[in-house]
Amino acid sequence: MNNEILLLFGCGLLLMMLGVYLLVLYRNLIRLIIGVEVVAKGVTLIFLAAGLFRQDIAFIQSLIVTFIIVETVLAAVMLALVVGVHRIYGSLDIRLLSKLKG
Amino acid sequence: MLLWVLLGLLVLLTVGACVFRDLLYVAVSLALVSAVLAGILFHYGANIAGVFELSVCAGLITVLFVSTVGMTKDSDQGDETRMGRGFIPLVLLVFIGLDVLILRWLGSALPSIVPGAGSGSFQNVFWNLRSADILGQVVLILAGVFGISALFRLKVKEKKHE
Repeated sequence: MNNEILLLFGCGLLLMMLGVYLLVLYRNLIRLIIGVEVVAKGVTLIFLAAGLFRQDIAFIQSLIVTFIIVETVLAAVMLALVVGVHRIYGSLDIRLLSKLKG
Repeated sequence: MLLWVLLGLLVLLTVGACVFRDLLYVAVSLALVSAVLAGILFHYGANIAGVFELSVCAGLITVLFVSTVGMTKDSDQGDETRMGRGFIPLVLLVFIGLDVLILRWLGSALPSIVPGAGSGSFQNVFWNLRSADILGQVVLILAGVFGISALFRLKVKEKKHE
C-alpha cells in the first residue's frame, strides 16, 4: 500500500511540475489557465494519496469536492477575464497586457 | 496493474495538453485527464469525488474552455512558447528524474501507514464535521457568479458608450 501511495504522490508531483512548465513557458492566456488546471489535477492526486495514507477516504473526499468547486469557480472567472482581454486587446498574448503595469 | 495503466494514461494525456498546437485538442486532452483522474478516484472508493471530477471538471470546465476557444479564435495567439517544442521530452525526463529523487527521499522518510481516527461516512463529514465550510463554498460560488456577471456587464456599458 505504501508503494501505491508513493506512486500516486509522485504522479501528482509530476503533474504539478508539468503545470508549472506550462505556466512559465507559454504566453497564451488560455494555455496559462490550462497550466493552472493541470496543477490542480496534481494537487487532487496528492490529496488522494494523503487520504490513503491516513486511511480516511471519507474526509479526503469532502476536501476534494471543495477543491473541485474552488477550481471550477477559478476557471470560470479566469476564462471570463480572457474573453474580456480578447475584446479589448484582440490578442491572447500576455506580453501585450501592458496596461496592467503600475 | 490497473493503477499503472491509469497513471500512465494520466501523464501521457497531460503531456499531450502541453504539446498539442490546437487549443481545441488541448481542451479535449484536459477533459480526458479529468476522466482518467475520476477513474483513479473510483478505483480507491472515492465515488462522490469521482462523480464530481467527471461531471464538473471533465464536463463543465471543458465546455467553458471550448466556448472560450471558439470566442477567441480570431485573435492573435502570440508566440506560443519561450522554448521550442523539441525540448518537451528533455523537460519531461528532468521532471521524472527530480520526481524519482524526491520519492526516494520520501520513501525512506515516510513512516508506515498511520490510520486516522476515521471520520465515518462522507455524509457525516460533509454535513456535520465541515458544515461551516459549506457556507464558504456557497459564498465562493456566489463570488464566481457575481464576478462573471460584473465582467459581462462592464462590456455592455462599454458598448453603450460606443
